[in-house]
Amino acid sequence: MNKDIQVSISNKNDVSILNIKGDVTAITGETIEDAYQKVSTAGARKILLYFDKDGYINSGGIAILIGIASESRKKDQKIRITGLSSHFQKIFDMVGLTKYTDIFLTEELALKDF
Amino acid sequence: MVPDNKIELHIPSVMGYEKIAMECAASMAKKMGFTEDRIEDLKTAVAEACLNAIEHGNKMDTSTKVGITLTVEESRLQVSVKDEGKGINQVPTPSIESKIEGEDKPRGWGIFLIKNLVNEVTFEQDPEGGNVTKMVIYLEK
Repeated sequence: MNKDIQVSISNKNDVSILNIKGDVTAITGETIEDAYQKVSTAGARKILLYFDKDGYINSGGIAILIGIASESRKKDQKIRITGLSSHFQKIFDMVGLTKYTDIFLTEELALKDF
Repeated sequence: MVPDNKIELHIPSVMGYEKIAMECAASMAKKMGFTEDRIEDLKTAVAEACLNAIEHGNKMDTSTKVGITLTVEESRLQVSVKDEGKGINQVPTPSIESKIEGEDKPRGWGIFLIKNLVNEVTFEQDPEGGNVTKMVIYLEK
């Protein structure tokens, strides 16, 4: 287990929530991917990525998220994002991730959008 | 001798150490009066320049170092990131569509982010060896 990240899985109604606490980088990516694969294998169709507002995200982490966004399209899953700082909301928009997933200010708003 | 307006640090070519340089640059920018937004832009740019130096410049050779120099000027901060490599190939502007469709690897965003977050950036080869990324960020965007 990577000490720079913790990912826990919870469910609200039919939404699987990945609570991502810590760094999102190439090093920690496997932990995030494993959690995504776990909910995917269990049949999740609606997945909320709940980030840590104070977390560090770099280009390696963005690549991991692009990989998940790509796979989710093939599997016809809906991915929503919340918990990001305003800086990383801007970065996700800059790279174009917001063309494939929506970012919400709160968990409640994200859950309502599914 | 390092002049008063310069800070130099060296980090090992190990992923994760870019955060040390990032926090150092952020502390200096805060002291200079940069806004929180600009400090966040600077942090990402410095981290990405260091990651490029670690991964592509020094090829994660732990016997090499990445040198970071912060130069404080009146209304701007200059950050130079130097590796010991032989030159980094220029990468095309990444396309999210190609990456999502699986036509291109999902990685390759570092230089794109740097160019979009700082006011000025150059990528040069040092005549004495190594690559240098020079970034300038202004107090007022």
